[in-house]
Amino acid sequence: MEHTSDNLHVKERLEDHSKEREAAAKRRRNIMNNWVPPMITFLVFLSLWQFGTQWLQIPVYILPTPTDIIAASIQNSDRLLASATTTILESVIGFVFSVVIGVGAAVIMASSKILERSLYPYAILLQTIPIVAIAPIIVIWFGSGMNAIVIIAFTIGFFPMLSNTLIGLNATDRGMINLMQLYKASKWEIMWKVRLPAALPYIIAGLKISCTLAIIGAIVGEYIAGIGGGAGGLGYAITVASTTMEIPYLFACGIAASFLGIAFFLLVSLLSKVLLGSWHESEMNVEN
Amino acid sequence: MKSAQSIVQEMQPEEVEETSIVSMRQVSKVFPNGYTAVENVNTSIKEGEFVSFVGPSGCGKSTIFKMISGLISPSEGELEILGESGSDQQQQSNDVGFVFQDATLLPWRSVIKNVMLPLEFQNLSKAEMKEQAEEVLELVGLKEYAEALPRQLSGGMRMRVSIARALVAKPKLLLMDEPFGALDEITRQSLQSELLRIWESQKMTVLFITHNVFEAVYLSTRVAVMTPGPGKIASTVDIPMPFPRTDKVRTSHQFSDIVGKVSQDLKF
Repeated sequence: MEHTSDNLHVKERLEDHSKEREAAAKRRRNIMNNWVPPMITFLVFLSLWQFGTQWLQIPVYILPTPTDIIAASIQNSDRLLASATTTILESVIGFVFSVVIGVGAAVIMASSKILERSLYPYAILLQTIPIVAIAPIIVIWFGSGMNAIVIIAFTIGFFPMLSNTLIGLNATDRGMINLMQLYKASKWEIMWKVRLPAALPYIIAGLKISCTLAIIGAIVGEYIAGIGGGAGGLGYAITVASTTMEIPYLFACGIAASFLGIAFFLLVSLLSKVLLGSWHESEMNVEN
Repeated sequence: MKSAQSIVQEMQPEEVEETSIVSMRQVSKVFPNGYTAVENVNTSIKEGEFVSFVGPSGCGKSTIFKMISGLISPSEGELEILGESGSDQQQQSNDVGFVFQDATLLPWRSVIKNVMLPLEFQNLSKAEMKEQAEEVLELVGLKEYAEALPRQLSGGMRMRVSIARALVAKPKLLLMDEPFGALDEITRQSLQSELLRIWESQKMTVLFITHNVFEAVYLSTRVAVMTPGPGKIASTVDIPMPFPRTDKVRTSHQFSDIVGKVSQDLKF
């Protein structure tokens, strides 16, 4: 057969385990190279902060030391945990809504140019109104508490999902769509079998933006619409801590919020690896 | 190669059914912007033929293919495919296979799942789909790569997958639009030989677009030479060389004579 040399070439690529091992070692070296420098920066920064504030005798209500913040977190761990749990719950619900409604709206707009032209400008409009202006209105309509906060978190995460998904759906390879039309595939079959999977990398990019925005949205929402105690979430805890001058606890709340954002982002990155790892350039370990 | 030879013997002219699978009478296509892509094309393609359309860019080769595939309809003239007029082609989609210059595979699907794609629009069970897909993958020599992803394959192998996908629904007519245009010469030649082997064993009709005269002459039973401005068929050249055609054919006198004639016709 004429194609044996061609096939052998690929077989080499598929089956060369020693190369795979080499690549694993390379990945380990990469982890060292990627993680050690920022860790060192972090430690230097922490010690400068710790000893600098002590040496300059900066009062705790202006800048608490890292140890002050850790002490405050441990001392108030019940409050902190309750607030964080509330924030997680609100942002996850808001995020899920923004994903479902954002992708759904993009699918509808991508299947009809007229709908896209008539709806998309208003989605942009919604995006350009500052969230701090929308939030009080939402509170007036839905009352203080969970509902309003979830809606605020949704509002802030919705547009990145919509616009990313829409770009992805509209960027599908024309040749592939032509081919599907030749198979007499219906509009929805083309959407389901070709356009949505092809848009997946764009959808994931949207998820990565929206997941951290959802946390910000929830905290902004709590700041405005938070209700008392742990049920008020981190945003509410921050307002309380700033009025009662519990500055180390204020820092602890801020840092906890940032940790939530990072954890959320890492989870979405993991999902991205699982969904795209085998076929999309963005998630492959390119060796060349 | 013995089996291929015996099949060719079965296909002696007197046994070939003389039904025309594509017929075009005075077909013209004028686009809404006033551009005449093809004008007064007359052609009749019989079952079992391998017809190449050769011509420079802009001579309307692809427009003819789009009309045959039903993506666009002719502005004038009559077009019949598999005995049905161009307007009611809804029923025959399974009888026509398509291969483009780009392999257009879905990168997230394995080779076999890509090949199964056309079958998903028919009422077949999963097992039947898998069986048919494995059959054509064997035909193109990629059976052991069924679970590989497209990105793991070379350009030539991706084109083989694309051909397998076109063949999986057992089409009577295969339309190929510059399928080997993006491949290197060595891969191109080996795929040409394989295409001929598949054509001989599957007893189907192939319409093939190319701007490579050597490729057209090597593959075809007949070459339609097209000229641009507006696109029309300038001449039709019969290629009387017997099948199976080996690589030796490429260097024979008869081959270069025919290539010379086709090249002459291309210059009006």
